[in-house]
Amino acid sequence: MDIFAELEKVTRHEHEHGELPDWLAEPIYEVINNPRRYQGKDYLIEMLIDQLNEYDVYAEAGCCRWASDHEDIKRTLGKLNQ
Amino acid sequence: MTVYLDCASTTPIEPSVADIIRRFIEVDYGNAASPIHDYGTFARMAVDHARGQIAKLVKVRRDDVIFTSGATEANNLAILGLREFGLQTGRRHLICSAIEHKAVLEPLEALTQAGFEMTLIPAGSDGRIIVTELQKALRPETLLVSTMQVNNETGIVQPLAEVAEVLNNHLAYWHVDAAQGFGKELDSITHPRIDMISISGHKIYGPKGIGALILRKRDGTPPPLKQLIYGGDQEQGLRPGTLPVPLIAGLGEAARCALRQHAERLEKVTSIRSQALAALAELNPVINSSPEQSLPHYINISLPGIPAATAIEALAGTIAISSTSACTSHTMAPSYVLKAMGRPEAETTSALRFSWCHLTEDVDWETVVTILKNLRNTTGN
Repeated sequence: MDIFAELEKVTRHEHEHGELPDWLAEPIYEVINNPRRYQGKDYLIEMLIDQLNEYDVYAEAGCCRWASDHEDIKRTLGKLNQ
Repeated sequence: MTVYLDCASTTPIEPSVADIIRRFIEVDYGNAASPIHDYGTFARMAVDHARGQIAKLVKVRRDDVIFTSGATEANNLAILGLREFGLQTGRRHLICSAIEHKAVLEPLEALTQAGFEMTLIPAGSDGRIIVTELQKALRPETLLVSTMQVNNETGIVQPLAEVAEVLNNHLAYWHVDAAQGFGKELDSITHPRIDMISISGHKIYGPKGIGALILRKRDGTPPPLKQLIYGGDQEQGLRPGTLPVPLIAGLGEAARCALRQHAERLEKVTSIRSQALAALAELNPVINSSPEQSLPHYINISLPGIPAATAIEALAGTIAISSTSACTSHTMAPSYVLKAMGRPEAETTSALRFSWCHLTEDVDWETVVTILKNLRNTTGN
């Protein structure tokens, strides 16, 4: 599957059935809808896919950190737009 | 230009891996243990991401991956890390195969100096460990069984599923040295009975100086390892020290490529093997790695009468190959692996290992065969 299609699939799933909020989903859809702008940034897009797959609103809670939260996703989006 | 055919000793780097390493050296150079600012946080994210990419290949959890400096360190941690548990519980029996890499054999030998006993399992003439011998060697007090996934000299894939069956109802910890096969043969090391897996970056088109020990939990508990070095709580306390983020990110990317490009890579290496086997057949070699049982990245042949060193030197302008493992080849000692397979001296001293990858350029096999034929005529064999 194309990396952008994979990103769309996981974003839609987390947005429509998970807890991904609108304010975080919208900039991700921007990436999905503008593949040319983000060409050559596969590393960061893969990272975003993994973070969405492991998205947990409470990732920072508890003793160990084995999930990703909105701060991680925001940071990856920031790197993608640099 | 000489074509590099020694990918079993180390592979060229995948271009996307090199790009990522450069990024984390030149731009995003934060310390993953300092997630108090953007640099450190992004470094930590890169490490988490790499951990996940590796975990996907083995079907484990991200927190099961412990980064080390390479497979040698991972092997040492898996083996020597069990020392204290073995001494405390009285389980002091160790088993490994006679064809393991020195990075497994030597730490096991070190444990024998501390009162442990080791049983070596022989390999058959096909280069696969004899699993019935493992069954016979197991004792109630066996602490550890260490077997490799793919032999580093012959490329022969070891019968891990059969080993798993034998170990099914035994408590022994099972370590698999997957330095040669990780990212190339994907299925066998996903077996849930395997407790510990050693991997290396530079065998899968990643950087040198990075590897990992994968610790699969049993009923939620990881193998009872004790760290070998002290000085921090990184890697769950098992491997203290500042994490080399560029190398870790590079290893993660190498693992990602191994998964995503598996089918196309396999097609390319299988095609090279067919060309090699067809060309070398003219020399009537002894084939030490049966194509049915070995990774398609390798062939190991013997040309009795032509010393390996002479052949390697004669071929040096055309192809770069080796005779045995990179870790023992400088000694030019005959292969202990082939010896364990019962091969006579004429074959162990004339063994040549050709190993390639998806990045390998076209090989002039005709010239290779001509050079070897000339050598054979010169030596009168």
